[in-house]
Amino acid sequence: MSAAAHPPAAILRVSKLRKAFGYHEVLRDISFDIAAGSVVSIIGASGSGKSTLLRCLNYLEEPTAGEIYLNGEPMGFRVKSDGKRVADSAANLGRMRAQIGMVFQQFNLWPHMTAEQNVAEALIQVKGLGKAEASKIAREYLAKVNLLEKADAYPARLSGGQQQRVAIARALAMEPKVLLFDEATSSLDPELTGEVLEVMRQLALEGMTMVVVTHEMGFAREVSNRVIFLHQGVVEEDGPPEQVFGRPTSERCRQFLSSVLG
Amino acid sequence: MSETLRQSLDLSLFWEFRYTLLAGLAQNLYVFACAAVLALALALIVGLARLSANRAVRAVSTVYAELFRNTPEFVLIIWVYYVLPILLSRMLATKFNMSPFLAAVLALGVAYSGFLSETVRAGVQSIPRGHSEAGLSLGMTRFQILRRIIIPQAVRRMLPEALSQFVSLFKATSIVSLIAVPDIMYQVSMINVDQMRPLPLYTGAALLFCLVIIAATQLIQILSDRWRKRGWA
Repeated sequence: MSAAAHPPAAILRVSKLRKAFGYHEVLRDISFDIAAGSVVSIIGASGSGKSTLLRCLNYLEEPTAGEIYLNGEPMGFRVKSDGKRVADSAANLGRMRAQIGMVFQQFNLWPHMTAEQNVAEALIQVKGLGKAEASKIAREYLAKVNLLEKADAYPARLSGGQQQRVAIARALAMEPKVLLFDEATSSLDPELTGEVLEVMRQLALEGMTMVVVTHEMGFAREVSNRVIFLHQGVVEEDGPPEQVFGRPTSERCRQFLSSVLG
Repeated sequence: MSETLRQSLDLSLFWEFRYTLLAGLAQNLYVFACAAVLALALALIVGLARLSANRAVRAVSTVYAELFRNTPEFVLIIWVYYVLPILLSRMLATKFNMSPFLAAVLALGVAYSGFLSETVRAGVQSIPRGHSEAGLSLGMTRFQILRRIIIPQAVRRMLPEALSQFVSLFKATSIVSLIAVPDIMYQVSMINVDQMRPLPLYTGAALLFCLVIIAATQLIQILSDRWRKRGWA
């Protein structure tokens, strides 16, 4: 294939990232590049720092040290002409965040808005679209997650799986360059995880760049083309799923996999 | 005994002076409306300030809320009417006149902003953080999130609590006659000076307050039921 001739550019670059809450170091010295169009699963035991890492990527958590670059543009800080680092303006940070979608474990739909209004809100507020156009786009994305018939329903009337699909539509409608999933199926009943995983699988096929924190080893193995195993805030294993699941080099990764795969 | 009871319930005198008394009630409603708007505006500012990340802003707003929550309206209204003008006159070195109406609105507005700011704070705090994070992750600004996501939800949650605060505020307007605002209690005592029949007059005033509050509460109940039917939490 031509992949070797044209190596895919890193759309997201994480460099020497650290995050501490008080004295407790959650992430220590994490660096990796994520190529455009790749689907990266981040796995690890609870408390390993996976969710914190994901939340640092769109600056919901401010890193203690290190840098994140989206398409080469630094996230959350600017380098002045004299080389000094200064915190970025809220407006700039917002503009960068709008390019990184996030899907949460708890869906976080806004209960006072219908499904369609949930999707249209940021199109109006952030992209400055008119109501009619935002509503048209919102319905397109609801159709994409097979929920057009629920456009006028309030979240309370939707099942967990439906709510999460609306949340995915809400993130997608902004046409993000990267989509982050923070344990998107963990609070769903087992019979509802399938419909959400199916939507994620479809997005992966369409070439969406995705970073997925997950407990679904099946998804990590079958859908992603790269798996990162995190242990106590350090990347212990990083490679294609066949390698991480088939012949992991790290002892801790082997232990983790045998405990979750049984 | 039964004669006393008959007298208190004989509201014909009350009816005779209905226009004066209604004019008095209108004053109560007017003071209430102005004080309620002032209280709500101040409560929104103070309630949000109490959740500020800035420690000084938090401290000042906490002192404000505690100060006015814990001062009796009775004392406050007298203080604003008699003491505040003197203070202001000295500070500004000009003669400063305070009308009874303005003093009543200021005192009650400030007093109830203390209570209501707690309601605002609790309402805003009850909205899950995830709702803000969802907004942030889509690129919305803090102000947009406050205006579009937090406040609309918080208002609905605050409604029952705020309603009972407003009922108290309306009841508290019955003390403004203290500084000679011509409200219903003022009119009742004026008529009483003339007619010497306190029983029907004060009983009538009590019933009237009760009636107005029950009617208003029912109306709001109907409105909020209608909201709930539209699917709002």
